[in-house]
Amino acid sequence: MKKLFFKIIVGASALSIILSLNGCKKYLDIQPVSQYSVQQAFGDVANATTSVLGAYDELQGQNGYGLYLGLYFPFDTDEAIQSGGLDNERRGIARYQLLLSNGALRAPFLALYRGLEKANLCIEQIPLMDAYSTGSEADQRDLKRLYGEALTLRAQYLFDLVKIWGDVPAPFTPAYKQADLYLPTLNRDTIYDHILNDLAIAKDLVPWRTEVPRNERITKGAVKALRARIALFCGGYSLRNESKKMERRSDYLTYHKIARDECADIMARRDQHTLDPSFEELWKTYVSGLKPDPYGEVIFEVAAGGGNSNSDGRQGVNDGPSTNAQSRVGQGLGAIQIVPSYFYAFDSVDTRRDVSITNYQINADSRKQARVFTQLTTGKYRRDWRNPLLPGTGLALSYNCVLIRFSDILLMFAEAENEINNGPSSAAIAAMEEVRKRAYKGNESKIGVTTGSKTGFFDAIVNERYLEFGNEHLRKYDLVRWNLLGTLLAPTTGTLRTKLRALSLDPNVPQYMYWRNTPGSDEIEWFGSFYKPSPATAPLPAFNATSAPYGWRQLNWREDLSRTTNVLNVGATNVHYMDAIGYFFTPNKSELYPFDQATLDSYQGKLKQNPNY
Amino acid sequence: MKRTFLLLLFLVSATVSTLAQSRSISGRVTKGSSADALVGATVTVKGTSNSTTTNNEGRYIINVSGTNPVLVFSFVGQATLEIPVGNKTTVDAAIQDETSTLNDVVVVGYSSVRRRDLTGSVSSVGAKQLRDIPLSNAAEALTGKLAGVQVTTTEGAPGADVIIRIRGGGSITQDNSPIYIVDGVQVENALSVISPQDIASVDVLKDASTTAIYGARGANGVVLITTKSGRPGRTIVSYNGAFGFRKIARKMDVLNPYEFVVWQYEKAQLTNDTSFNRIYGSTWDTLQNYKNTPSINWQDEVFGRQAPYQNHNVSVSGGNANTTFNFSVTSNKEEGIQIESGFDRKLVNFKLDHKASDRFRMGFTARYLDQVIRGAGTTNSGTRTTNRLRHSIQYRPFDIPTAPSVEEFDETYYQRSAGITNPVLITEAEYRRAFQKGINVSGYFTYNLLKNLAFRSTTGFDNTYARQDQFFSKITGTARSFGNLPTVSIADQNSITINNSNTLQYTLNNVAKHHDIDVLVGEETYETRSKSLSVETRYLPADISPAKALANINLGSPPAGTSQPAPRSGETPPNRIFSVFGRLNYSYDKKFLVSIATRADRSSKFKYENGLLIFPSGSAAYRFSQEKFMQGLDWISDAKIRVGFGTAGNNRIGDLLYLQLYGVNGEYPLNHTILPGFAPSALANENLKWERTTSNNVGLDLSFFKNRASLTIDMYKNVGNDLLLSVAIPPTTGYSSQLQNVGSTSNKGIEFQLNATPVQNKTFSWNSNFNISLNKNRVENLGGLLEQTRNSGWQGSDGLDDYLVRVGEPIGLMYGFVTDGIYTIDDFTYNATTAAYTLKPGIANANANVGVLRPGVLKFKDQATVDTNGDGKPDAPDGQITAADRVIIGNANPKFTGGWNNQFTYRNFDMSVFVNFVYGGDIYNANKIEWTDGTFPNLNLLGTMRNRWRNINDQGVLVTDPVELAKLNPNGGSTQYSPLAAQRFFLRDDAIEDGSFLRINNVTLGYTLPTTLSKRVKISSLRVYATVNNLATITKYSGYDPEVTARRSDPLTPGVDFGAYPRSRTWVFGLNVSF
Repeated sequence: MKKLFFKIIVGASALSIILSLNGCKKYLDIQPVSQYSVQQAFGDVANATTSVLGAYDELQGQNGYGLYLGLYFPFDTDEAIQSGGLDNERRGIARYQLLLSNGALRAPFLALYRGLEKANLCIEQIPLMDAYSTGSEADQRDLKRLYGEALTLRAQYLFDLVKIWGDVPAPFTPAYKQADLYLPTLNRDTIYDHILNDLAIAKDLVPWRTEVPRNERITKGAVKALRARIALFCGGYSLRNESKKMERRSDYLTYHKIARDECADIMARRDQHTLDPSFEELWKTYVSGLKPDPYGEVIFEVAAGGGNSNSDGRQGVNDGPSTNAQSRVGQGLGAIQIVPSYFYAFDSVDTRRDVSITNYQINADSRKQARVFTQLTTGKYRRDWRNPLLPGTGLALSYNCVLIRFSDILLMFAEAENEINNGPSSAAIAAMEEVRKRAYKGNESKIGVTTGSKTGFFDAIVNERYLEFGNEHLRKYDLVRWNLLGTLLAPTTGTLRTKLRALSLDPNVPQYMYWRNTPGSDEIEWFGSFYKPSPATAPLPAFNATSAPYGWRQLNWREDLSRTTNVLNVGATNVHYMDAIGYFFTPNKSELYPFDQATLDSYQGKLKQNPNY
Repeated sequence: MKRTFLLLLFLVSATVSTLAQSRSISGRVTKGSSADALVGATVTVKGTSNSTTTNNEGRYIINVSGTNPVLVFSFVGQATLEIPVGNKTTVDAAIQDETSTLNDVVVVGYSSVRRRDLTGSVSSVGAKQLRDIPLSNAAEALTGKLAGVQVTTTEGAPGADVIIRIRGGGSITQDNSPIYIVDGVQVENALSVISPQDIASVDVLKDASTTAIYGARGANGVVLITTKSGRPGRTIVSYNGAFGFRKIARKMDVLNPYEFVVWQYEKAQLTNDTSFNRIYGSTWDTLQNYKNTPSINWQDEVFGRQAPYQNHNVSVSGGNANTTFNFSVTSNKEEGIQIESGFDRKLVNFKLDHKASDRFRMGFTARYLDQVIRGAGTTNSGTRTTNRLRHSIQYRPFDIPTAPSVEEFDETYYQRSAGITNPVLITEAEYRRAFQKGINVSGYFTYNLLKNLAFRSTTGFDNTYARQDQFFSKITGTARSFGNLPTVSIADQNSITINNSNTLQYTLNNVAKHHDIDVLVGEETYETRSKSLSVETRYLPADISPAKALANINLGSPPAGTSQPAPRSGETPPNRIFSVFGRLNYSYDKKFLVSIATRADRSSKFKYENGLLIFPSGSAAYRFSQEKFMQGLDWISDAKIRVGFGTAGNNRIGDLLYLQLYGVNGEYPLNHTILPGFAPSALANENLKWERTTSNNVGLDLSFFKNRASLTIDMYKNVGNDLLLSVAIPPTTGYSSQLQNVGSTSNKGIEFQLNATPVQNKTFSWNSNFNISLNKNRVENLGGLLEQTRNSGWQGSDGLDDYLVRVGEPIGLMYGFVTDGIYTIDDFTYNATTAAYTLKPGIANANANVGVLRPGVLKFKDQATVDTNGDGKPDAPDGQITAADRVIIGNANPKFTGGWNNQFTYRNFDMSVFVNFVYGGDIYNANKIEWTDGTFPNLNLLGTMRNRWRNINDQGVLVTDPVELAKLNPNGGSTQYSPLAAQRFFLRDDAIEDGSFLRINNVTLGYTLPTTLSKRVKISSLRVYATVNNLATITKYSGYDPEVTARRSDPLTPGVDFGAYPRSRTWVFGLNVSF
């Protein structure tokens, strides 16, 4: 009896010990159910495609081009500004008061690095897949394309980081393979060289746009276009951490050549990419109509859809005209306002003006109402153009965010040629005039004579890009790479303020404009001209809500710019609108953004802040 | 080593033998002075394990041997009686009701001991104390009853979350709730799925010397629930029913119609808004007419109803000496005080115990739960715009002829007020039903392998299905984001838990007359897994009803260019724990008691190499009451000092965090249609391991006056180490944080529990239980960081962080601005031409906080934030009120908490009064900040704003002239500032209020019909009672109720009162009948 008892105890103890040491290993070895291991995520072509789509994800959404990168960061410039008084979000960024606590500063920084990490995982894993080297021809082709896309995405994420923050930590391997997570910053030239090489590899891996079904995925044109753009930035000015000055590398012409060659390649394939004959059609029919343009003018774009803050963007809601939530078009915030001088930068027959600028708002009764001079809004993405309309307060309209258009290829080509040849070649002049002629459609004779001098041509390029790419988040970064942002935004003496002051006194700009709703319609019509003094007497009948609902109304035009009460809050004080634009801009500081406080904290002192922050 | 020890132990035990002549004794056991037989009472020969139970007539037969045998009679809830047998062959016993708790059986994990022999720290509460409380959630009924157990009901909504913290809780970011073991089987959130009427006792293991036996799950304490079993004897059918109603306990004072329009007028003047006349159809001259406007109290409209309450519980229990059963059905049906809200629960509970032979016993329990919680409530984890309580406070308190009738949705008003909606309509517009169904089955058997050796196996299976239906009608903010059309969603979750434990217990008593030994070894497996599925459909037909929408989720039709969100499903990998454990209890002369336990756990949540952790514990007690030096102190009947030490763990973290994994977390549209994308879920940390809590406990148990009173004092220090913190890592990795075992916290405290029966005689008895506990929490380490701010998140996207976690301080520090009176006229220079006030130099500029600066608005203290002398420490203010001027202004941790329960019986009457209290601990009254703010037009304000700084004179003219303004505001102005208009909300110290309270939680009066009367109608007992719950609360707190914590998605932001559902008072009339 005692023996039996003893045996049971020993047996039970032994069993427990054995189970705990060996048997339970199997019991405790569990596999993910909803989740995927890294190997599974790159198990076949379909999964690898889903992984690459995951790497695309960070381009879009509130943290990407859908809001912060596309609609917060590119302002203020001489093109447009963020409306309203100072805050610690979009207006803080726009006025160049970049507090390290600004949430809109941190979120896109994180998103770009998330995108980089995902691209790095794809770049590491796709070549390891069996199908990549031994799969069927179709599989190999698909995987090469995916690999090329991942390289391009990595280049895009790093390009945005360098463009905004300068020298940054630049991991080229996934985090779980990094021995030290506290990467030091890498010189931007090294980063640029690396991604330009990556893109040189990628361009041979991805197909031209017509070789595959049409969608927003990266094609050969996009890789080449991005390579050209990056090359121009690499060869342009930037604020250097060492000297704390705006400088460009001495061998910059090497990069102009890269840009010129890539652009020339694309221009040689007009079957793939060319200009839409109509500037307005591109934006109104295709972008706002949610369909691809048949000309391939849009070469690279961030896709939008789903109406949420991750996979969709706020183009047409934050920017575009202010529209009332109760109107049939739904709510537009009109948060980005055109600088008045931009309106007058256009020739009266330039078709780009009324696409790029909206001078109306839409009220609750869906009727348009004219806007005063300093409250004009952007126009390429506008809610009232959406086809079909989307009423309500939804913040996302599924408007793709255009990154590179064919006109950019033409202008980059012209710019690079001018630098390389020390003056514009005939091809360069033709490329620029092609852009102008499309803009002056119907009045092509009025485009003027293109100068043959190097500086004159350069200035013309600067101006043409200003007119062509309004609200396409390029202006500020172009001005930086040309080292012109400082002279433009300098307090009191800046060229922008000089220009605005002159405009506020220009007798040929009307003091007031008169407008009315076209009888029987919600549209607006104007009395007189934007380019002549106000009429001596107001047109009749004058507006009256009950007796003359379609009467004429007076609108502050130049008056709105010159009135002393047109002030914006810039923190402790209110200053005049003209002075408030980019109020805190400081040369040799504001060209780069700072690393936010939480990022510095997480680096535990191992990350150096950008100059003068 | 352990094995050798066990072996030795059994060798010792094997030498013991009991051989003597035996004879048979019989008798009958009755209850107290009555002649009622006690069925199933235990009769034991003292000092042996020889025992039997009484049969259906209360009779027993037992064999005794030895020289002076003593019989011990015991029965649950009755005193233990010892009778020497002498030469008698018949021994009858009449055992009295228990007044002492020393003989209560306390479950301590895989076995039970008498309270007398406890070496660890355990608080218990029995059925009697839970009996009359008209609450559906047993957890809520525990409030204030247990020393060291803080129970906080987060708000007043039906089915509201109840937070239970045992000794403060050691984890910083992970779940701090205890685990629940029901009849030996772990059940998630057990207290909310078991009817209070089905509970026989609740024992809470508080220190690691007792919880270490639960290893990886024991760090936050263990709540052991024993459900009621049947008793042998006559089958008893009883019915417990209660009817009553709830009524809102407190309402907020708001401006009346006249005061409301005066404020709107003033605001219009201040902001140059010309719409006032148009909206209110009146200029200043005729504003007086609003004094006659009938007022609408929206709190009454939404929360004012008398909400019916009913609770029915029918149970059938009985059995014979071998088999007992208890079957009960409970139905709770209660309406919430808020319209459209309510709670409906059906519970079925069946418990069967069977003794197949002297060696073999088995039992089986099955529970079924079916519950529906109706209503979206008032609070959610979003910002102020998504919380709903504000509509009942801030909506215009009257009807105006020019606007749509108050019965209808007023779009114009919605637009003009930045989103206020008629509170009745918005309550109806947001539909929610939370369904829960659960099946819980468990069984056990014990087999006595030898006389002293028992094998026990317990297995439990729990299957819980939860479903949440939501519908947002076209007037809701949700619909506004999606084309002004309704949205509907259904979310399902199914969780399964399987729990099996096997133990061997060897008991030897009275070895060599001195030694009692009890050895337990065991093994346990625990597994849980869950699946979820959710679907959401937008763009439903504009006027569809919630029922039709939920029944036709496919009716949504997205406009071109938009799409429906994809359905989502998820499945967690099984979460498994495998454990072996052992415990040795030893007692010498019942004077020295020692308990040593060890558990080894492995969890699937950690890499195999990191997954094993040993949780050792030990405790010892010394009963010194029998010592010589105590002889003069006869009034002390029992005295024991205890010390305990132990380590327990917490593994409640996500699954597989040690592996680099991809999830379907990404999405990217192609041709405007969303496609899923893989994205890494987190940066793996393959070194993750358990959170570990080490605790030290010293306790003293004293009994006085023949055990009529008892006092338990416990002091403890718990240290949590290796706490999982989401550590900020360089975001350049692609991840901004990683879970790492770096944190450390400590909790120190002292607890007192006093039980007494001051009076006990035939006609009158008074039983009193008092407890009080003090806990001090401290953050010891944050993984290199010295502090970290947190955001409660109600303020919206530009809200400043309003909580602080700092090393050396407790969790729950409120972090905000210090107010400094109001800006006076003298703080400004006045420019008569422009009528503008400019702040004088040296006066802190709070423009960012308060909007336009003018006399009468709130002023803030400008903290020293600038370092002028270069010593690295800020020593001067910068003249601007910015985020840097925030300081610690509140602490959510109470200084002490406790409760006092008194139960009286006088003849057939009984009465109980229960009060509980919390002292210290601040409440962050965010409601007050929101409801006194003047940013948005056409909103009502709290009544306190009546005495605000005056900006308009009696003629309705806005006064700017300093002299006139001073006349209007004599003596430097009223103490109440002019409402702020900064368009942003932030924490400031006037919103920090003392959350101390004393609540008369429950008062019950009952009457039991004399048996002589009830017997005539074949009723064995009948009691009627009336009870009031939450009768009164004594507090300085100005909000609805100081027991509140509304921002729970982050455990580091406790004590926020924002949008919480107001608490109610409950009146109930009940009936207990047994047949």
